[in-house]
Amino acid sequence: MTPLERYLKNLSKLLPADQREDILRELSEDIQSEMDDKQSELGHPLTEGEQLQILRRRGNPLQVAAGYTNNKGTLAFGPQLIGPVLFPFYTRVLRFNLGLTFVIVGAIFAALSLSGQPIRTGDLFSNVLLQLFVQLAAVTIIFVFVEKHLSGQPHDWHAKEFEKTLKTSIRERIDKKIQLQMREVSRFDSISVLTASGVALLWIQSLWAKPFLIFGPVAAQITFAPVWHQVYVPIVFIMLATIVRACINLAQPNWVRFRDVAALVLDAAALVVVYILMFGHTWVVPIDASSSAAQQVASFVNKWIAAVLWASAVISLFQGIKDFIRLYKNWRWKGSTTS
Amino acid sequence: MYNTVYVVHYMTNSQDNDNLFENIRLELRRGSLILAVLACLRSEQYGYTLRRALADRGMEIEEGTLYPLLRRLESQGLLLSEWREADKRNKRFYRLSPLGSELLEKLLAEWKSIDSSLNEIVKG
Repeated sequence: MTPLERYLKNLSKLLPADQREDILRELSEDIQSEMDDKQSELGHPLTEGEQLQILRRRGNPLQVAAGYTNNKGTLAFGPQLIGPVLFPFYTRVLRFNLGLTFVIVGAIFAALSLSGQPIRTGDLFSNVLLQLFVQLAAVTIIFVFVEKHLSGQPHDWHAKEFEKTLKTSIRERIDKKIQLQMREVSRFDSISVLTASGVALLWIQSLWAKPFLIFGPVAAQITFAPVWHQVYVPIVFIMLATIVRACINLAQPNWVRFRDVAALVLDAAALVVVYILMFGHTWVVPIDASSSAAQQVASFVNKWIAAVLWASAVISLFQGIKDFIRLYKNWRWKGSTTS
Repeated sequence: MYNTVYVVHYMTNSQDNDNLFENIRLELRRGSLILAVLACLRSEQYGYTLRRALADRGMEIEEGTLYPLLRRLESQGLLLSEWREADKRNKRFYRLSPLGSELLEKLLAEWKSIDSSLNEIVKG
């Protein structure tokens, strides 16, 4: 993939769908014209470095796309917290998270209702409201940090640093460096991972402190089994490590091998956690062991958790294989460019 | 210590003034940019040559500003566009619409009036 194709691909994800093709066609033509002019001026086909220099001058795709979006919404309490560039993504993530939360809460309450547990409207309402507040706060805080980080980034992809390097280094060495940078971790990937892991971490912390968030009204009857105490710290550690990994890649997008190796290690750690959990056999226990109603609820919830754990094991394994293939491909690609 | 405080205070003020100047300068250019684009498009051009033509006359404009502006002017009915092959590639050519031409004449008259008023004011 050429630098221009990669730039347009990044841009295409951010453009309004109804105008995407037209805008890309026009921008592609404009960039190509500039590259042709530069080629005539230099008298040789442009190197990847020279192409990249033209693209960097045009600015981050995030900023370029903002010019075309009709959505000029922002979030501000006094000073602006989330600008027009990130705002559509903020609302998208918020909609997705809230939708998912409603589905999960709805499924839990439906399952409890089907198992014959009495459900009070007040419980349902307070549970939904609390989830809403937690999700809204978590997603907003994460996006405010991302906005702060991105607004600190130079508008033109470090064009000054790039030019300085260009003047002081040997061309071949720069081209190799640029080629390596071409395989960089997308900032959107890092932001998505950061957001998802941050929300998941807050969610787990909240669940641990307030089990009724997931158990609803039956939290008075059942509690987490001891196996969760074994895996709680490793789970938090895996999430924190994922957040740290995403932060590092946000600051250093060209640390591709670091991303690949870290992702694989974290996949392995997640699989170990799922393995320990699966062989725990019991994941919730009745608070009052003599209560037959509580035992019935615990048995019902355990069946559900078993199914969820099997699904998690399959997903974790699939993710591990995917990350291993990516590491192998990038390793081979780097080998072929350095030899 | 007082000197240090004074220097820091002075630097902050200087930065504020630079930002203020930049903001007002951009605001001033933003309005005239539309006029420049409309005037340039009295003859048909595609985006890249339009940008070059503006830059050659001292009105540099970023692509990220020009293309959204062209789209806006077209959606307002002031420009017409057409995809056509030129130099072995498909390019989107823009030109003034009849409404755009009419509006440009009015805007140019307004511009001349503002220019002469400003000159009078600046001369004192």
